[in-house]
Amino acid sequence: MPGVHYYDLRHVTGQVTHIDIDNGVVESAGTSFFNKAVIRVLHKTGWGVLQIDNYTPCHGKKFNTFLESACRLARITQENVILGEAPHGMLAVPFMKEDPRNVSIEEKSSLLSEIEMAAQHPLVVNRRANFIEKIEHVQFTDSSENEYSYEMCRSGFNVLAVASLHGNVQMGYEREHSIHGFNLRHQQSQGKKAADIAAALLDAGIAKSGKMRAVLDPELAGVFAHEAVGHASEGDLVKEGNSVLKGKTGQKIGNENLTIIDDPGIHEFGFDPVDAEGVAVRRTEIIKKGVVNAFLHNRETLSSVGNGVAGHARAMPGEPPLVRMSNTFIEAGDATEREIFEECRNGIFLKGSRGGQVDPGRGIFQFNAEYGYLIEKGECTTMVRDVSLSGEILMTLHGITLCGNNRTMSPGYCGKGGQSVPVSDGAPHILLCDAVVGGSGVD
Amino acid sequence: MRWWVAVAWIDKLIREAQKTVDDVEVFYVKGTSVSADLKQKKVALATTSEDCGLGIRTIHEGRIGSSSTNNVSQWLECLNAAIASGKLATPQDWGGLPDIVQLSRTSLSFDASIRIEPLVVIDLIEKMLEGAAEHPAEVTAGTASLSSATVTLANSKGVRYSDRHTGVSLSLEAIHEQSTGYEFDHSCFFDNVDPVSVGEMATFFAMESDNGKDVATGEYDILLSPLAYGELLGNVFIPALSGRNVHAGRSRLAQSQGETVTDSQISMYDDPLLIKANGSVRWDAEGTPTRRVDFINEGILETFAYDLKTAYRFGKTSTASAIRGGFGGLPSIGHHNFVVDGKRNEVSDERVVYIHNVVGAHTANPMSGEFSVELSNAFWMEGGEFDVPIRSAMLSGNVFDMHQNISGLSKESRAIGSMILPSVKINKQRIIGK
Repeated sequence: MPGVHYYDLRHVTGQVTHIDIDNGVVESAGTSFFNKAVIRVLHKTGWGVLQIDNYTPCHGKKFNTFLESACRLARITQENVILGEAPHGMLAVPFMKEDPRNVSIEEKSSLLSEIEMAAQHPLVVNRRANFIEKIEHVQFTDSSENEYSYEMCRSGFNVLAVASLHGNVQMGYEREHSIHGFNLRHQQSQGKKAADIAAALLDAGIAKSGKMRAVLDPELAGVFAHEAVGHASEGDLVKEGNSVLKGKTGQKIGNENLTIIDDPGIHEFGFDPVDAEGVAVRRTEIIKKGVVNAFLHNRETLSSVGNGVAGHARAMPGEPPLVRMSNTFIEAGDATEREIFEECRNGIFLKGSRGGQVDPGRGIFQFNAEYGYLIEKGECTTMVRDVSLSGEILMTLHGITLCGNNRTMSPGYCGKGGQSVPVSDGAPHILLCDAVVGGSGVD
Repeated sequence: MRWWVAVAWIDKLIREAQKTVDDVEVFYVKGTSVSADLKQKKVALATTSEDCGLGIRTIHEGRIGSSSTNNVSQWLECLNAAIASGKLATPQDWGGLPDIVQLSRTSLSFDASIRIEPLVVIDLIEKMLEGAAEHPAEVTAGTASLSSATVTLANSKGVRYSDRHTGVSLSLEAIHEQSTGYEFDHSCFFDNVDPVSVGEMATFFAMESDNGKDVATGEYDILLSPLAYGELLGNVFIPALSGRNVHAGRSRLAQSQGETVTDSQISMYDDPLLIKANGSVRWDAEGTPTRRVDFINEGILETFAYDLKTAYRFGKTSTASAIRGGFGGLPSIGHHNFVVDGKRNEVSDERVVYIHNVVGAHTANPMSGEFSVELSNAFWMEGGEFDVPIRSAMLSGNVFDMHQNISGLSKESRAIGSMILPSVKINKQRIIGK
């Protein structure tokens, strides 16, 4: 078609099964269906994009009508877009040990109920458990005759326990989500753990704010890597000038022992067999031994920014792809957990994550732990609650002085541009000096 | 074609459902939108969308089922999935879906003058850039979008409601050195947004926040902009007013009905019938006719929000607070236009720390109300004028407790999503310097 430099179609159909149990009551359980497509056309000056609900695959005249509509839209754009060359190809989707579709919803409900019931505790006033199973069948085709088709199933559960005493209300929250198949069996310990944490937090102290040494557990350190570094390395933000990492390639911004990686190809919750532009997924070492090494890219930002590889385009069904993280982690070092606590000596140990946020242009991040412990003479002592960390990316990374030898990954979801995609974050235990800790406690 | 002819399949669906279940509700939305995205000062991407979605809720012997799809030709499969889903649900007391009521057919949030066309969004973009040029900060990204949707609700009690909504939404991001600025505007009426001002304020905040100074840790009188206040209110305080959370033990306000929960000058209410307000509707997501709900009157907590399901279960009456985030899932408790009101006064005459936005409010503890957030575009302010910017600091405290220390509300209010909020002055809040 005249003027069309490139087009692609990403059509996703599938179903979502959910179960919601609240204090022993099955509030809702069932299956819903979706069918969404996005067609992108690159005209001389930019992208024209059609988002279509209930798309019926078509060829010839009908498909050309879609291309013409997208072309008309693209004519109002003004940017000369060049797509970088990138290898195509698709990884195999990992085998599921047990396909959730082979388990009846009645059995799923019964297993979820066991987890929810395990959160019973004399101080727990509310228990809530959710199961979600999302099956996506993705079909991709582009004007260069690349075609991919795959099916992914992500499933898992959350359990929340709320403890209350004399007007003090606290919560414990556990979750397990996986691409490896059905994971509701033998998980009652997660319900019990949520209840125990909620009850323990009723007696926890309130953290005092200020600068101190902090040990971050693998889950929170993973969120740190995601918020403090991952977003600022996204090629679209770098291109727009909305990242403090712009122009910092080759500069040392962290300690020698710090290497941060994003890899969509590893079999964690953020796995993609191929990216949302049909590009082969590849590992990117964002920070290598403390030095800014590479950015995350799609084909467009690879071409305009350079320094990195494409393969990091991701999208929700029916949405245009954005440059996104997938599985982001701090590489393991060689310190033992004991060495990290001893080196910290006096400070705070932060565990679990209630999420975080970053302003990548300003280089400011904030995230919140689920709970923590004071560290006194290298030992964990008093439990503390409602404790957060904030800081400036370019100053804070120098403060990571020790990385443990025990990296683990945690599943989650990341929001950007109105789209939420599955990710995993991970790290070993890390020691962060001069951490700015927020809490409402005062001396 | 008249709308009810176009959706004749809904009547068929209801008749089919009535063979098997006591009650059925059909929620159908069909819409279109157009948007343009700026990358720096150039439009890089233009998008249109054609959306449709069907949500079905069935109730049989107190068991509630649901399913959804965006392929309406498969309504029968969707209905069967909803009925199957209901068989798994725990039965509860159920007093029936609402009967039909004669309501005005005039939409409160539909602007017939809005044209969903690419050239209109380009005009909005150009006006934002015109405003942005007032200050020498660099534009990094921005969006303008227009949307229109028809929402249809029908049930087995004879309800056949249909309503139209429009929307115009703008945002712009800017940077100067390492200082960022962000501004947005949105409305259901085209003339209610000011694209020039959006652009001007985004570059203003980026410029004005540059060369910030540190602030010492301590207690300060603060002035939260509607945006910053809305982040804390929406993430913590408003969920605690949900009847569902109250009865489930997930609300700190559960035992506080009739008690003082905020400063005595503060009132909070949901007014779904405001003309030209973003969340205005004459019926809620279950077809209950909407009305004003006064949650807090001069500091006293009066009532909580209920949908039908929660009301029937706990012997209450629906406050017509059912909303749907989309066509999928079940209706849930929310609000339409949540208003914070009270005596208005000059809030920036005396020296305060003005906080335009916060980073990380969603990480607050929604049960206890404890929070620590990073400040964004914070300044010293006196006599209504911006003074020295604050480079980086945290605000830490408790959302519930800080409402007891509110000392003033600004004269102007602003729509933040479905909230209508003033700037709020709060005394003695803890700021952690760096």
